Amino acid sequence: MSVSYKSIGWNRAKKAYDLTIVTGLCVYLALFLGIGLATHRDATIETLLIRALATAALLMLHVILSIGPLARLHPRFLPLLYNRRHLSVTMFVVALAHALVALVQFHALGNVNPLVGLLTSGTGFQTFGLAALVILFLMAATSHDFWLANLSPRVWKMLHMGVYLAYALIVLHVALGALQAEAHPVLAIMTAVGMVWLLGLHVVAAMRERPQDRDAARERDGWIDVGPVDAIPDGSARIVCAGERIAVFRYDGKLSAVSNVCRHQGGPLGEGRVIDGCVTCPWHGYQYLPGNGRSPAPFTEKVETFDVRVLRGRVYVNPDAHAPGTPVEPAHV
Amino acid sequence: MSLGLAHGVLFVLAIYLGLGVLVAVPLVVAGIGRIDPAAKTAPWTFRLLVLPGAIALWPFLLRRLRKAVASS
Repeated sequence: MSVSYKSIGWNRAKKAYDLTIVTGLCVYLALFLGIGLATHRDATIETLLIRALATAALLMLHVILSIGPLARLHPRFLPLLYNRRHLSVTMFVVALAHALVALVQFHALGNVNPLVGLLTSGTGFQTFGLAALVILFLMAATSHDFWLANLSPRVWKMLHMGVYLAYALIVLHVALGALQAEAHPVLAIMTAVGMVWLLGLHVVAAMRERPQDRDAARERDGWIDVGPVDAIPDGSARIVCAGERIAVFRYDGKLSAVSNVCRHQGGPLGEGRVIDGCVTCPWHGYQYLPGNGRSPAPFTEKVETFDVRVLRGRVYVNPDAHAPGTPVEPAHV
Repeated sequence: MSLGLAHGVLFVLAIYLGLGVLVAVPLVVAGIGRIDPAAKTAPWTFRLLVLPGAIALWPFLLRRLRKAVASS
């Protein structure tokens, strides 16, 4: 949430997260190379380095793709979500290192342009790898909040959903490349296990989320019954769905409703709390005034607001959204 | 992929990225505040971070700049 952009908004949690990534990566590479050199006497250091970087990047990608659904399944995984972009950019750097070492090893020092050699080689598995790398580069290069604001959240999100296409291309890259030369089935089994794990995780998370996305029943006048006032703890929200999710917050003896979708990266505002008079997103701390859906000055983010009323101890919300930042008189408890 | 197609793809890519460098570098160094006021006083480390994306997505940034100039 910036008035002026910084390169990286360092804090203690980010530093710990990044240190864990770098340490884990160094340990993994050292172990892979060490064990590889000890057990494969005929393997060159370049080959082992290519494989070490490839497997490291692929393992990181599996972790990255697991974080989203895991965070939906249990809040203990939320801290992994906060700085996922750091993990993603690191994964891209590792994948790029793999590609560069492989390019030099297999295509350099000849009389053909290395990139031409890569694109015209054999089964084309390298082309799949290159295509995946391009997608990962675009994602890494647009991971800063500047791009979220200037590409628009919709375009940015669409670009970053390309990670699934990148994953499919990488599976093809592995299947048509390394698996063809590998006599032992362990790599094929691990690739299959990874795919099953990710698919299963996404299906389970989707099934868990699906009931919450069923549109709530409307009263005859079109309003939605949110439930008893007392069912909403002070400082928290109840979420209802009407096309999009709406978060109805109770605070200071009042009730206001805003869009559940944070302007930053789509975090679930309704799962956050009201802190210092502001609805606070649980993902990255973006804040909005509940009465008008605007971030407190000098910040400029805005979310949609909704009319709320209280009748006979029950809360009702009008699902027709006001434009982002529209002030709405709160209902009184 | 055939040899001719590979050469063609790389040629087009080189032109696109070359234009990207020509457009993105001055844009990121001096013009980024016109596109997004929050970037006007951003440090050089921020500009360095967004430069690769600017080179890759220079048509988007040019369009944003045109809109910003038109509305000012």
